[in-house]
Amino acid sequence: MRSSVSYILSSTTSEPNMSHPDYEQYSHDHAALLILVKHLGSQLKNKVFNKFYERISRVNSVKITDSTGQVRNILIRYIKDHPVENNDWGDFQTHRRLLGLISLGKYDSQQELNEICRVHESLKVKYTNTLYDSRCILFGANDEREYPSDNSSPEEQSIVSSSEVLSSKDSSENSDITNEAQDKSSVKEETTSSSYNPLTEGESSNKDNEEIKSDKVEEKPKSPVKTVREKFTTPSNFKTRALFYNEAEPCSDLENQLTEFINSLFWVLESKRLERSREKLERVSLLLAPFEKKDFVGLDMDSRNNKKRCTGRMTKHLGDLCLQAGLLSESLSYYHSAAETLKSVNDWLWLGAAYEGLCAASALVLYPNIQRNVSLHRNSSLQEGSPKRSNSITTPIEVTKKDIMNMLPPEEISKKYREAIIHYSKYQNAGIIETEACFKAARISIEQNHSLQAASFLQNVVFINLTLSEQEKIQRFETLSDLYTQTGFTRKAAFCQRLAATRYVSPQNPTPNWNQCYNLILQSFPGHKIMLDPTEMCSNNVQMGWPLLQIQLLQELVVAAKRMGHSALATRHMTYLLQTMWKHLSPTDQKELAIQLQSLSSQCEGAPVPLVLDSGIVIPPANLSNIPVCASFVLRNLQPHLQPRKIETLKRDLGPFLFTPINFGSLERRTNKPQSKMDFLWVENDVCEVTLKLVNPLPFELKVSNMRLLTSGVVFESIPETVVLPSDTPTSVTLNGTPKESGELEILGYSTHTLGVKSNCRLRYMLNFLPLYSIEVIPALPTMEIKTSLPQSATFSSFQNFENVVTSASISLYNGESTECTITLTNTSQVPIEMLEVSIQSVLDPSLQDQIFKWSQENLESQLPLMPNGTASLTLYLYSAANFLATGFGTAELSSGVFGSSHASSIMSMSAGPSSLPSRLNSPVHSAMGSSFHGARRNELNSSFRSSNSGQSSMTTTGYRSPGALTLPQHAASSIVEGQLQLRYSGGAGLQAGYCRTCSVFLTLEMLPSLQVTNWDVLPAETSSQFYLVLDIANLTSQEMELHYTPSKHMLIEGHESCRIPVPVNRCPLSKLTKLYMDQNSGLDDRLDLDKICSEHIANLVDLRWQLLSLNVKGKATLKGITLTPNMLDIVRMSPLNWEVNINGDYLKPQEEINCDAGDCLNVCVNISNSLEKPLRQLMLTIQFYQDHQNGTHNYRLETRVVIVGGAKKLLPTLEPQGKTWHSCNVLFLTPGQYKMDIQCSTPDSSTTVPAITGTAGHTWRYIPAVDINVNI
Amino acid sequence: MAVCVGIIGKDNSPKYFTCLNPDEELGFQYKVLSSLDVVEEKLSSGNKTGSDMRELYLGMLYSLETHKVYGYVTNTKIKFIIVVDSTNTALRDNEIRSMFRKLHSIYADNVCNPFYIPDEPITSKSFDRSVKHIMTGA
Repeated sequence: MRSSVSYILSSTTSEPNMSHPDYEQYSHDHAALLILVKHLGSQLKNKVFNKFYERISRVNSVKITDSTGQVRNILIRYIKDHPVENNDWGDFQTHRRLLGLISLGKYDSQQELNEICRVHESLKVKYTNTLYDSRCILFGANDEREYPSDNSSPEEQSIVSSSEVLSSKDSSENSDITNEAQDKSSVKEETTSSSYNPLTEGESSNKDNEEIKSDKVEEKPKSPVKTVREKFTTPSNFKTRALFYNEAEPCSDLENQLTEFINSLFWVLESKRLERSREKLERVSLLLAPFEKKDFVGLDMDSRNNKKRCTGRMTKHLGDLCLQAGLLSESLSYYHSAAETLKSVNDWLWLGAAYEGLCAASALVLYPNIQRNVSLHRNSSLQEGSPKRSNSITTPIEVTKKDIMNMLPPEEISKKYREAIIHYSKYQNAGIIETEACFKAARISIEQNHSLQAASFLQNVVFINLTLSEQEKIQRFETLSDLYTQTGFTRKAAFCQRLAATRYVSPQNPTPNWNQCYNLILQSFPGHKIMLDPTEMCSNNVQMGWPLLQIQLLQELVVAAKRMGHSALATRHMTYLLQTMWKHLSPTDQKELAIQLQSLSSQCEGAPVPLVLDSGIVIPPANLSNIPVCASFVLRNLQPHLQPRKIETLKRDLGPFLFTPINFGSLERRTNKPQSKMDFLWVENDVCEVTLKLVNPLPFELKVSNMRLLTSGVVFESIPETVVLPSDTPTSVTLNGTPKESGELEILGYSTHTLGVKSNCRLRYMLNFLPLYSIEVIPALPTMEIKTSLPQSATFSSFQNFENVVTSASISLYNGESTECTITLTNTSQVPIEMLEVSIQSVLDPSLQDQIFKWSQENLESQLPLMPNGTASLTLYLYSAANFLATGFGTAELSSGVFGSSHASSIMSMSAGPSSLPSRLNSPVHSAMGSSFHGARRNELNSSFRSSNSGQSSMTTTGYRSPGALTLPQHAASSIVEGQLQLRYSGGAGLQAGYCRTCSVFLTLEMLPSLQVTNWDVLPAETSSQFYLVLDIANLTSQEMELHYTPSKHMLIEGHESCRIPVPVNRCPLSKLTKLYMDQNSGLDDRLDLDKICSEHIANLVDLRWQLLSLNVKGKATLKGITLTPNMLDIVRMSPLNWEVNINGDYLKPQEEINCDAGDCLNVCVNISNSLEKPLRQLMLTIQFYQDHQNGTHNYRLETRVVIVGGAKKLLPTLEPQGKTWHSCNVLFLTPGQYKMDIQCSTPDSSTTVPAITGTAGHTWRYIPAVDINVNI
Repeated sequence: MAVCVGIIGKDNSPKYFTCLNPDEELGFQYKVLSSLDVVEEKLSSGNKTGSDMRELYLGMLYSLETHKVYGYVTNTKIKFIIVVDSTNTALRDNEIRSMFRKLHSIYADNVCNPFYIPDEPITSKSFDRSVKHIMTGA
């Protein structure tokens, strides 16, 4: 746009060019009357002045009916400051002339009033060249309340009437008021509203001109008497119309006064216009722009060219006046013809002005509604979110604009403006005119929505080389930025704002203003896409804006804030910079800025509170969540033994399917996501933990102090933590806190204090974190401390619910030994323990478990409730229960029946080796034989086993090979029993809420082998009421053991030795077995039952007590679970038949041997009685003789050796309960030898006549032991 | 030829920025940033005309005392900005155009790289080399 011929035509002289640009101009101002509103004196407050200024500014257009009845729309522009030099350009563009003056002042005394009047008058002198009229608005002292503000009018009148001298101007106006329009608008007193009488304007305009010029002259000599209120009067030389108001009151007629004032201005202007228009165009003098005065020195003023120049310039001048006087169409035609004329004489400057006038007039027609935004103050104005693009082209104007000749169409306006600017640019001295034209053109382009055009006009402004003061340069940038904003060029606007900001503090600027600099930088933020709230900046993953520029801007802002003396702001912005721009900073920058922040915060600590600026802008808090970086944030469950559990767990209905192959979890994606709701509980008043992993990204050690948790919901007391983080090493930090209430607790983040800045790091605003964690806090539960009297276990083996273990106890016990363990419980909380449940958990069989661990629940409950700091004790009885019986045979083998058992064992025994005797195991001889060695100890173990004839014994499986050494059975090695004593306890509010705590004591019990019954058998005793239980007992310890097996008998067993002991035991009374015999519906189970009853009988009666002498350890062994074969059972239990055998009439005692000679006749008489409670039927009594060869062979074929006289067999049809019967026969032995007599009574097989008489169908009872008969020669 | 080249994403944040003299980068960034206003304006007004085959080359965005700023916008709203020295009067419009075309083609090549995530800042060294080539006009 710049003309290439710029500066060619401009003179280099230092002519007084217009040095004060007015960036605020609109093209409409070409048509406006310029009025200066001046603040006088110091009494009037700025605020009041501004209030009135705004009120005055609202009267910016007045409709005035002229002498021809045409309504003129007069525009008025109010300004606060006007350099006198600008008036010099009044010939060039008339709207630059100051036409009116309104001064505002307040007085309390006459002296002040005088001073105000004096200043006002001097202002009039200052602008005397152009001033048409003036007003002085005076605010009286506050105490003069009795005079309503409206009362100024009568005074006015009095003034007017009394001041004759003023009649030349004022009174002539006042005397004849005829203007109808004015009458309507005036409120109270018509006399005050002054207007020119259109009829007299011709004369008065001439007078006016003189008057204005003579003002200065007349001032001093004239002394008009002005009585103001009562005491105060304006000085005599003050001859401006004064308007008196009270600043506190509405001043309702102010607008009317203004209208009247404007009217007066208009009429002066109108008269001047008419005067000018009547001049002959051929004879007009040359109008000059201020700097042109020298150019025309010596030129031929009468040349044709110059004539045309004069004419053109005057035409243009007339156009200006018409425009101001509201005659748009006239002005357009003037401008048009002026442009034609000036073009022909190459008068570029004035041609430009003519074009500009043309554009201004056209714009006024097209867009009458363009207005400056009054309410906005330049420096404090905020950026509007959307650029203002009001489109004020309305339809009525569409109609009117066609009527006007020479009017430019919208698209031509900017073209003409462009031309005008190019013409201006040819003159260096017209720089300000050009600049202003650019702004005006840009504003029109904005109105037209041609942003690019506007931008190009604005761009041109920058190129114009002006010698301006710093303040004016700043203003230029600010105006540029304002206009760029309106075009929507926010970046450009921001750029200009930043430039303006730097100008405020540039070294050239004599008065640096950091405040303004700061404000402007702040205002440029939206253009650089910087949000004031760091959370907004960080929340978008997409990086907005240009980081490099943002960093620079922020750094400048920090400096500005610091220089401003607002160190809190500096800290805040530096924090913001570090927080938001972290990833765009180089490591060295990061370090440097962090150090800077540290030094800034040493002056003012950063806190997470919003800062409010004087301008009302709120700077939101900036939190350093990057320093240190939080890598993980995990809420910790309580320690297992402190975790609350539901006292009653509801049985969950899992449906009929315990397992389904369909994994619902994989279908529901969200289950993979971390849940913000914790699935565990925290307890009121218990210390809860959150573990953070922090990384210090800075290259130096970072101290983070006062770390706390941020929570909401229930009251939570967070314990501050201080950590020193080494550089770049992840460090785990645990933050503790105590919830003080029960309910829902939300963990929102954590707070830090580092680099002198307090930050609230909320998870919501941090990447890769859930917005919050919530956790349920349940009411307070007690805590308990547990101690045991036993030493702790060295190691725990893995075990279920191992985590609950708080302490442990371990002990070694020999099998059969028992001990006590005292467990001390201490309540360490402030809540009483009201509930305490003890249970034991182990992998053992419940019955065995109960044997090993015993305690008294009642005793414990009697100690409840356990008050805070109270203790209770629980005694746990430990018993090393073990199976003392060698597990040589399975129960299945035994239960399979007599024959199966014997068969199997016989085979086994044979295969075992030659040492075992082949025997028929169920032969009665064995039992008889057994008695022969009873009580006789064999030293050699092997032989004792060999001689043992009870085939069912364990030797069949073990088959001891090694003589002398005892091979211990497998389970004989020490075994370890582990158990957990579980304590469930609760109390207080937690109990009511249904929660308890569980802790457990881990018990390790080493069970050492003591003794073992390796083998056993039963032998009939001397009396039928007893039998002998023969036990092979092995001492599995290495100590000498004393074994008490009856109350009176005891024996010593060497370590790892074995010995055989007979224990007399009462036979199992029939009363215990009655049920079995009575039960008719019995089957195979009966045998087992019988077995069990007998086994228990034995276990109860046999009391084996051992003592390890060297260790002074005592114990007890039980035979619980001893298994018996059917043959043994017969011995163990009382026979249902009572036998009484008489030989030769003598009663045969048990174990008694009979000696007789061959050939002797022996009378055998057998009496049997039934001791059962039911009859026995079909009993077969048999007497039999045989010889035992002692090698397992029994010889029953004795026909040649024994003769039986009488029946050897007798059938007893019925034997009633308690019934007796007898049988006798005679026996004759033919050859000497050893014989045995077997007496037995048998019931028939179940298949025969009486099926199932008893459970022992087909059973045989023998008289035991068999009778030995020695037949001598 | 060119003194500065910038590639700006559709969100108007820089994706790539280089200039011959690294010390002046900040200043160039300001220039390029403020030229975006013009680009935006041209784009929004260009849409109104509704021409399908939009001219990608935007021409000169604005000129400064020392530099001229040229713009070029792909159909995906990726903006290429070239700043040339305004003293270099030998530079014709056609040469600027060809520079833009070359730039566009190497940009397209870079986007084709499967390891480049679109909309991320471009850090490829080979891309940088190619751009420098174009800038120097070699």
